[in-house]
Amino acid sequence: MSVDLAFASVIDLARMIARKEVSPVEVVRVHLERIAARDRSLRAYITVCAEAASEAARTAEAALMSGRPSGPLHGVPIALKDLYDTAGVATTAGSTILADRVPATDATVVRRLREAGAIVLGKLHMVEFAYGPEGLNAHHGAPRNPWDADAERMPGGSSSGSGVAVAAGLAPAALGSDTGGSIRIPASLCGITGLKPTYGRVSRAGVLPLAWSMDHVGPMTRTVADSALLLRAIAGYDPADASSSVLPVPDYLAALTGDVKGLRVGLLRDFFLTSATPEVRTAIETAARALQGAGAVVDEVALPNVAHVAAASYAVVASEALAYHTSWLKTRAGDYDPEVRKRLQLGAFISGAHYVRAQQARALVRDEIDAALAQRDVLLAPATPLTAPRLDERQITLGDGPSDVRGALIRLTRPFNCSGHPACAVPCGFSAQGLPIGMQLVGRPFDEATVLRAADAYQRLTDWHTRRPVLA
Amino acid sequence: MSEVFDADALSRAARLAGFDWTPQELEPARPAVEAALRLLATLDALPLDAVEPTTQYRIL
Repeated sequence: MSVDLAFASVIDLARMIARKEVSPVEVVRVHLERIAARDRSLRAYITVCAEAASEAARTAEAALMSGRPSGPLHGVPIALKDLYDTAGVATTAGSTILADRVPATDATVVRRLREAGAIVLGKLHMVEFAYGPEGLNAHHGAPRNPWDADAERMPGGSSSGSGVAVAAGLAPAALGSDTGGSIRIPASLCGITGLKPTYGRVSRAGVLPLAWSMDHVGPMTRTVADSALLLRAIAGYDPADASSSVLPVPDYLAALTGDVKGLRVGLLRDFFLTSATPEVRTAIETAARALQGAGAVVDEVALPNVAHVAAASYAVVASEALAYHTSWLKTRAGDYDPEVRKRLQLGAFISGAHYVRAQQARALVRDEIDAALAQRDVLLAPATPLTAPRLDERQITLGDGPSDVRGALIRLTRPFNCSGHPACAVPCGFSAQGLPIGMQLVGRPFDEATVLRAADAYQRLTDWHTRRPVLA
Repeated sequence: MSEVFDADALSRAARLAGFDWTPQELEPARPAVEAALRLLATLDALPLDAVEPTTQYRIL
């Protein structure tokens, strides 16, 4: 059987490598060649670690041949959003301010990936300092959404390169980060799987922050099963992260039974489905029926105050981001992408009382989500209310009226950054223009296993996640 | 919150926050500041008096 290594799943690659059916050297070579051939136009990578990855692959092959595989990801190449510290490799956050920053140590999750046997392919493009959902970057240009042959559609951000690389077969998997939707938005727009774990489930140590109390890190893959495997590798207590949980890490792969009989699914219609474009709304309703057909019990549920998340999220992110960037804003303001600088400046006009009010609003909405999940196992909603907008688009018409594109993209994802609940985005259809549509499943805190089980079951029922973009 | 702020007022407010930004530098951000303050004012409609603010940390 011939296997396209560029689009093989992480699980299949790990299995083939472990059985010595394919060498890690070959797997890395295929990806590096594909990056060399495609990335000039796709622009998914900021740094390609070709030599280090090839050397690591040879070391992995030697270890395997001598009977010393290092873990469940042995020999599998993975790429990282360029805000994960990597020892000896520049970590720039997509900025010029940090263009020469070379960390001495790996972020905790990078170390854990390497300990599990993974090989770092390179560092991926992103919105400067992760502050924006469109995927635009004035310094490096926008990565190209691989589903758009005319190269005029947004990839989504801020983990733009992660979405593009995984969708286009330039990496089997990537890590992204998600402060308002920055894993799930590019996953939705690029047609891949993106998991934002519970706040505290995965260490943020060594990951450049945007807003400490909203930042989450997680995997971006082509299948839910791959996200489950990666989550197991990176999750767990880390004393270097004050928000890190000591709860044990379950075997997420073992939870993927394919069985959703009796699973209680709450469809979020008000605010979520009502804001979606007709194509997205139809796709989500069809997905709900698919889960129902497999035995899930679907009802509708509302979060009465969720619309206020826009204000709360804004106050928290702008304040925390300003705090982190204060020094550079005073000394290097001209080095920022003008749009990012403007967003950061806004934080100076938010009072302490605004910030606390926003934290109160977060508690209110968090409790509403907890209440909805007290009687259900997961919630179902669009990940984004629209498919990939054009790069020059600034205003759009949603199901409930006009919206600016930026607000539209983060509207349905940021409630779960405010609340900290785990949420997984998966593709659930394509528009008439051939652009991916994404849905998200949201679960109880630290119950990623149920979220992944539901999302994996959906992928067993459908083939949206198996479709590949045709690259010019 | 219906006030309209000019760039001079924003510059003075920024100085209070520790930033020496000129009115010219802040003029591009002025419409966004006004929109942001209108957005923040919507939080006043929420029943928050008995709600303790969270920092979300669920250390378990």
